[in-house]
Amino acid sequence: MNKDKIFKLAKGFRGRAKNCIRIARERVEKALQYSYRDRRNKKRDMRSLWIERINAGTRLHGVNYGNFMHGLMKENIQLNRKVLSELSMHEPYSFKALVDISRNAFPGNKIPKKDGSSIVA
Amino acid sequence: MAAAILASASLSAAFSPTNHASSSSAAVALSRTIFFGSSRFPVAVAKPEFGVALLRSKGGLRIHCQQEEQQQNLAVIPREQRWMFEESEINGPDIWNKTWYPKAADHISTEKTWYIVDATDKILGRLASTIAIHIRGKNLATYTPSVDMGAYVIVVNAEKVAVSGKKRNQKLYRRHSGRPGGMKVETFDQLQQRIPERIIEHAVRGMLPKGRLGRALFTHLKVYKGPDHPHVAQQPIPLPIRDKRIQVDK
Repeated sequence: MNKDKIFKLAKGFRGRAKNCIRIARERVEKALQYSYRDRRNKKRDMRSLWIERINAGTRLHGVNYGNFMHGLMKENIQLNRKVLSELSMHEPYSFKALVDISRNAFPGNKIPKKDGSSIVA
Repeated sequence: MAAAILASASLSAAFSPTNHASSSSAAVALSRTIFFGSSRFPVAVAKPEFGVALLRSKGGLRIHCQQEEQQQNLAVIPREQRWMFEESEINGPDIWNKTWYPKAADHISTEKTWYIVDATDKILGRLASTIAIHIRGKNLATYTPSVDMGAYVIVVNAEKVAVSGKKRNQKLYRRHSGRPGGMKVETFDQLQQRIPERIIEHAVRGMLPKGRLGRALFTHLKVYKGPDHPHVAQQPIPLPIRDKRIQVDK
């Protein structure tokens, strides 16, 4: 009974781990431990991905992530990072408005000179 | 359908001076026209017509017309049958609660940007850092670590790249053949005489992720010795450099 459950969970494993019970049992235990740990890690990884995307989006407008967030906190805008990252990808004008709000609240970054961002072609 | 006929009747009734030839075509594309809201179709009045084809592609600016599509789809499915369809089929994919992941159409190689940068008198590490950022795609809001979203970068005049301090004679490049006693050591200067492209390649490869994706990203870097390169057809644009200390003033 338990063997069938183990083999069901061992589908897609490499080599004998999907066929032989002694090896499959170990690998399945490990897989379940990894999935327990990674359900918690996924939340961390997602948040860091949102932060990276927001960073890239704000740097296009000359503001880095830290100063952007500081400005939003000052204005008490409680949008979370997930929504901010989706805004930066799907709604560029709204995101620019948010960056401007943040820059007004906390002008940490100097606006770069627009004479030519590339120094040598 | 009955709804279209009803609306077309209201259309022709309300719009007496217009030509009747246009009313039939208007009935077909009813829910998309700019129109005074008839009670049957609560379409938003002031929205200009957006191209529905632009909806899901990620290149640059994307116009969002999900509300219009929503009205259209809601109007098509009768209320008794709405349980048969999934949320994503009725309202379109949920972009606000699920983090976006790029589809194959979002990173087609032939549509990627090509950048070109002249390495003359640029500090090696700072140049390599900027190049690696653009190749990996970390400057884009659509950055995804598991997908190649970056651009291609061409480097010309690779033999003229500069280093500060005494690195020109003291920086060592080592490689090992695998056999005992097989370590080969070269200085920056010697390698620049021998194979100048390798200097920039070595620097950028150290800044890209190590792994299958990193190796694939490395193939997007093209380094050339002189001022010419064979990629004129790709119409490369100058690489935007934000670092102020990258250029050595002679």
